[in-house]
Amino acid sequence: MTRFRFLLRRPFELIPVLFGISLISFVLLQLTPGDPVRLLLGPKASEEAIALVRQRYGLDQPVIAQYFYYIKNVLSGDFGQSLSFRSAIGPVLLQRIGPTLYILSYGLILSVVFTLILGVTAARSRGGILDQTIRLICVVGVGIPSYFVGLLLVLLLSLKIKVFPVSGYADSNLANLYHLFLPALTIAISVTPILTRNFRATLMQQMNAGYAVAALSKGVPADQVFWRHVFWNSLLPTVSLFGVVASFLIGGTVVIENVFNIPGLGLLLVRSVLSRDYLVVQGVTLVMASGIVISNLLIDVLMAALDPRIKT
Amino acid sequence: MDRRSFITSSLAAGFGLPLLSQLIARAEAAGTKILRIGYAAPVQTLDPIKTVFGSDIICQGLMYARLMKANADQSEVGPGLAESWVISDDGLTYTFKLREGLKFSDGSALTADDVAFSFSRMRFQKDTAYAAPFQPLVTIEAVDALTVKFTLDRKFPPFLKLCEIWNTGIVSKANVTALGDDAFGTSPTVTSGPFKFVEWKTGDRVVLARNDNYYIPGLPKLDGIEFIFVADVNTGVSMVQAAELEVSMGVPFARMKELAAAGVTVVSEPSSATYDMLINHAAEPFSNLAFRQAVSFGIDRGVINDAVTAGYGTAATSIFSPKLAFFDKGMTLIARDVEKAKALLAQSGMAPSFELLTNAGTTDEDKAAVLIQAQLAEIGITVTVSAVDPGQVWTQLIAGEYQAQLNWWYNETTDPDNAVRWCVWGAGDNKSYYTRYNNDEVNTLIDAAAGEADDAKRQDMYRKIQRICVDEVAQVALYHPTWTSARSPAVTGLVFDLGSQYAAIDAVDITG
Repeated sequence: MTRFRFLLRRPFELIPVLFGISLISFVLLQLTPGDPVRLLLGPKASEEAIALVRQRYGLDQPVIAQYFYYIKNVLSGDFGQSLSFRSAIGPVLLQRIGPTLYILSYGLILSVVFTLILGVTAARSRGGILDQTIRLICVVGVGIPSYFVGLLLVLLLSLKIKVFPVSGYADSNLANLYHLFLPALTIAISVTPILTRNFRATLMQQMNAGYAVAALSKGVPADQVFWRHVFWNSLLPTVSLFGVVASFLIGGTVVIENVFNIPGLGLLLVRSVLSRDYLVVQGVTLVMASGIVISNLLIDVLMAALDPRIKT
Repeated sequence: MDRRSFITSSLAAGFGLPLLSQLIARAEAAGTKILRIGYAAPVQTLDPIKTVFGSDIICQGLMYARLMKANADQSEVGPGLAESWVISDDGLTYTFKLREGLKFSDGSALTADDVAFSFSRMRFQKDTAYAAPFQPLVTIEAVDALTVKFTLDRKFPPFLKLCEIWNTGIVSKANVTALGDDAFGTSPTVTSGPFKFVEWKTGDRVVLARNDNYYIPGLPKLDGIEFIFVADVNTGVSMVQAAELEVSMGVPFARMKELAAAGVTVVSEPSSATYDMLINHAAEPFSNLAFRQAVSFGIDRGVINDAVTAGYGTAATSIFSPKLAFFDKGMTLIARDVEKAKALLAQSGMAPSFELLTNAGTTDEDKAAVLIQAQLAEIGITVTVSAVDPGQVWTQLIAGEYQAQLNWWYNETTDPDNAVRWCVWGAGDNKSYYTRYNNDEVNTLIDAAAGEADDAKRQDMYRKIQRICVDEVAQVALYHPTWTSARSPAVTGLVFDLGSQYAAIDAVDITG
């Protein structure tokens, strides 16, 4: 199992990445004009009240000191206090990770299913009407922004034909298969075209590869060549692309959370930037960054499993 | 695996499970009367003294009863927790008598001590967000279990109505003391109003349930309320259409007619809000009277109102809302006069340009800004519109680092004292809503009017204030919008009042 040795090394690489991200996001936020305490207490609060709250949350300290206090607290597992919700950030983040993770995984699973079906169908009917149709769908799909897809789905499947709910996040995972179907489908619709184009192209390339032609000429049945060899050999580039797409999605769920009103990390991030809730922004950024690093790690594991030659 | 089984099994995974689980989800809906309200900002605190934001004060209004209680549209304010009150002849002492047998949601007794505690926090605690209108209140005393006495340092007739606003909501002294301020603000386990606290999912929703110890027997009619953050108002409307919300607040004016035509119940209710262009009197060009007047005559408030509120609002003729008492009905809409504006501009000698800040992402402000820009271009003033992040807008307003900015405000009660102190009182903390407008005559009139018990005399003073402020263009009031919402037709008795409260929430019901 030496090819999985990188698993031991990776977690340590996470440390400098997170440190760098925290520093950059902290500095960027501090550079943004806008007084969080004024935004918290509102235009009608007295200067005295503002000063008191600023002092309570340590916002009267120098920026450098604030950053080091923050780092010190995070290392001991304390993400600090949310200014706008006046409560500890850790539990808030925990509440929010669930919905985001759920729609992400749900959406990605649907994408994989769709990609496999569409890619295989297109490649096997190369140049035919099915292939042309799928290619057209992919071109259109790549071009439509996901919030628009979301709105169309709501209009069609929630308001015209009342099959799925407009919004919501239920308490049970099973019920969420239904509640979060439209957001997941929205993700799938935005991701599938990219993956399908790639998968279809790779399949075709592999179908014309020497080993496939040789097998066919020796009389191996076409189905067997395709499913035993071509299919598996074509997965690698798509899996790699899948990793990139998934990383992008982690930061991009905010649009989907907005359209379907899902209480996830994305919505929290946007609210917190608007209210200059520095520590919440920091917390969400760190969680998202960790998510990206972890998803990259998973993809590497998958790639190593698929192809023993890969050295990570 | 052959192709057919591959496809069918994939399809089953993709569509079958969700549809199956739909049955489970449908079974979850029970027969209780829960009012789900969607609002475009999340609740940030449940402590009534710590905030002035719409989401917070609406939600808190459902949880904490006040000494006085307004009827549904706030046209009348009468007994609430207090059954009677006596105002001393000199107007300086207000003695309230509480109803007998009042209880908090946990069954503990609500006494004058709790009232005194609640008012003292609101008035004197250092981090109270809105003590401003209560400045005349100097001492608060629980005389006995049912009597509480307030002493003012000057005559102040608006005080009675102020004892109805959300931040005078009565909290339990025992509960606040036991929990401490922070924990109380996130989970106030004891309340005095029609609903009690159940759960707060931070940044998502506040869940409330019927308070069986509410002081009005038989009320509230609802079993509970969920106050839900719905970031996108259009999503909110769709949720009402799909019966996932009973109320979605803040429907865009532009969609009202279309939704009504599609059979959605949309409501437009009077508000005390004023949208205006704040101008910085401390810097050129708005320090110049002729320039301010040129701008005032150069814009067409009627056109702006029609464009932004689709005719639901009214164009502004004065500095505050026509829904407030002592509004000067004799003032007419300033007719746009391009020639007069040009002459005033020439007379001012100011460079004919300024920067107008808008809150980024606010469609209504974008519309208004574009119209102001076009209308003033005709008289020769170049307006540069800068859309900036709302957080930055406040910093610039407070620091006085701006020329003009689109903004809005509303008044909690129908009494205009609060309103004029907010928008044109140069002696106040907020420097006339950060415009730096400061007219000694207006300041004196504001103080005098607040202490005047004779309505005819008050009317006269407020008339003078409004005329001076419009003539001098203290700020460029543009229009008064209404509160809009989409609702389930099954909800009865729901009125959002001009002070941003569901004052008669206890009588609201869901039928059918």
